[in-house]
Amino acid sequence: MKTTLIRLINGQDRRQGRWVFAFLIALAIVVWLGLSTGQFLTAENLLNLVAQAMPLIITAIGMMLVVLVGGLDLSVGSVISFTTAVLALGAPGIVSIPGVFILAALIGLVNGIAVTRLNVHPIIATLSMSYIVLGITRILRPVSGGDVPQVVIDAVAGSFLGIPLPVFWGVLTILLAWKIIHGSRFGLHLFAIGGGIASGTEDAARNFGVADKRDTLLAYVGCSCFASLAGIFLAGRIVSGDPNVGLLFELDAITAVAIGGTQLSGGVGSLHGTIIGAVVMALLANGMNLANISPFVQTAIKGAILLLVVGLQSRKKMGL
Amino acid sequence: MAVLTNHPIYKRISRIPPAYFIFIGLLVLLWIARPHMLNVNIMGIFIRQVVPLGILVLGQLLVIRVNSIDLSGAGVLLLINFYISSGMFAGASLSFFIALSLATGLTVGLLNGYLVGKRRVSAVIATLAVNIVLVGIVQFLASGKPPGDVPSTFNEIYNTKVWLVPAPVVFWIVLTALMSIFLSRFVFGRNVVSVGANPVAARFSGVPVERTVILSHTIAGLMTALASLVQTASIAVGSVRVGHDLPILAVAATILGGVVFGRGEGGVWGPFFGVLSFALLFVVMTTFGIGEPGKLVAQGVIILAAAIFYGVRTAGSQS
Repeated sequence: MKTTLIRLINGQDRRQGRWVFAFLIALAIVVWLGLSTGQFLTAENLLNLVAQAMPLIITAIGMMLVVLVGGLDLSVGSVISFTTAVLALGAPGIVSIPGVFILAALIGLVNGIAVTRLNVHPIIATLSMSYIVLGITRILRPVSGGDVPQVVIDAVAGSFLGIPLPVFWGVLTILLAWKIIHGSRFGLHLFAIGGGIASGTEDAARNFGVADKRDTLLAYVGCSCFASLAGIFLAGRIVSGDPNVGLLFELDAITAVAIGGTQLSGGVGSLHGTIIGAVVMALLANGMNLANISPFVQTAIKGAILLLVVGLQSRKKMGL
Repeated sequence: MAVLTNHPIYKRISRIPPAYFIFIGLLVLLWIARPHMLNVNIMGIFIRQVVPLGILVLGQLLVIRVNSIDLSGAGVLLLINFYISSGMFAGASLSFFIALSLATGLTVGLLNGYLVGKRRVSAVIATLAVNIVLVGIVQFLASGKPPGDVPSTFNEIYNTKVWLVPAPVVFWIVLTALMSIFLSRFVFGRNVVSVGANPVAARFSGVPVERTVILSHTIAGLMTALASLVQTASIAVGSVRVGHDLPILAVAATILGGVVFGRGEGGVWGPFFGVLSFALLFVVMTTFGIGEPGKLVAQGVIILAAAIFYGVRTAGSQS
């Protein structure tokens, strides 16, 4: 037991990354907030916290798919804004909800094709995609507003059997993500592809018969679809389309993934680590709000945390 | 496809950076659609606007050639703009501001270089995080409101002309020429090429890989400081929003100019024309009445197209 714990904290459980550290941070923040403010441990605040953390958890899970294969998706923020803008166009939910997923999958497909087939660096491909998607979003909806389908609003605000719906969102997303990442051959292949890239033998997985290009492409499609899911959740919460709602989401998602022990060079990570990472981010935001810290300072603190976390991740390769 | 990509003429053409084609294409488009725009005074004004971008590109092309990237420019820009316009150092001389700005750029560049070169942090994440920290600090200091005015000396320098050419444009051209000489005549330039081509081989050949990366980032930081000074002089007021997309545009212009991540190759003048292409693009889009969202889409499409052009070329040369 004791050796297992030490091994976990030292990150010797190599494929899962150092998630225990993040877990301890989360625990420490919970204890600190619980002791220092009376409001924190109320049911209302905790529920609020779940609803606040949910879009980031969903986006971070998607981001993790591409980070596992040594990539990065800087377009998820734009995809989130885009999703809310499309939903707010006023089309009935039965059309617009499948519609946003198809559009998000297409965005992911273009990212994936650019990266795997056309040899474009993931950062450049997804960055230019974020420009294109943001531009289209601002054409569709220059300022926030519009009519979000009632079904989307009900799916976020209501409750079922006395349990608020965001909790169900969380459980279902996590089950789906667990199936993809830890319960399928596709997930295993992502680890294999990324592990090869991180160790400098980029064709290692391919030599064992893994369709590395197809799986990498699917990781980008998955990432966009998860971002779109987060967008649907956000649209339900803010009850409108907003071209700026996804701003800087990609950075929060990357930070969450990195805090959760996923190596940004690929091949190492875990779903629970990513979820814990996103929860740490949400707890920090919640705590800083309760402590009345200015939103600008909060931004700076988030940046410093990102810097610290990735600064602790030593890599073999220098560069991007 | 393979027949086409292996043809000597295709190979010759594919070596020319896309920036030149785009520049000529936009020039022809303007000449056909709006010939009256093509006069020295109007063009001078438009080109003067992209000088900060052009100077930023000089640093960006260095770090991109050593397989890194610098996305912290916006934060440095804001910070320097804040120094000058907030009245924090009221009555200070021009040389003081220049020294302070250069020191800031140097510090941030060194920090980036240390993180990327020594600590081996992912360059995108590290420089983005530095950027977020700097932006957060400036916004906190300014409490979200734009600070005051910039001393008039800055604007006076910005508005002077050398013969017909605006002073900032002359400054940019001189700086580009200096960088070109620095890279082609000095050992550092050779180091950049070898680190970019293959860092492992470079280390075994005795090239100081870490030092080259750190120095590249430091020079990029200094260039950002110079770009911030020109940018501040051009807008003449304090702002907490200025130049947030300049670093990304700088990456785009660098790639248009034929400098590719970690390949060591590419010159200084390709990216120079990359920046000029952006200047022309803004002219074209303004004259055709294309709004901000349309510009975003166009930028994205151009960056992606240029990157695909290079990606396909690299794939072709490998097989």
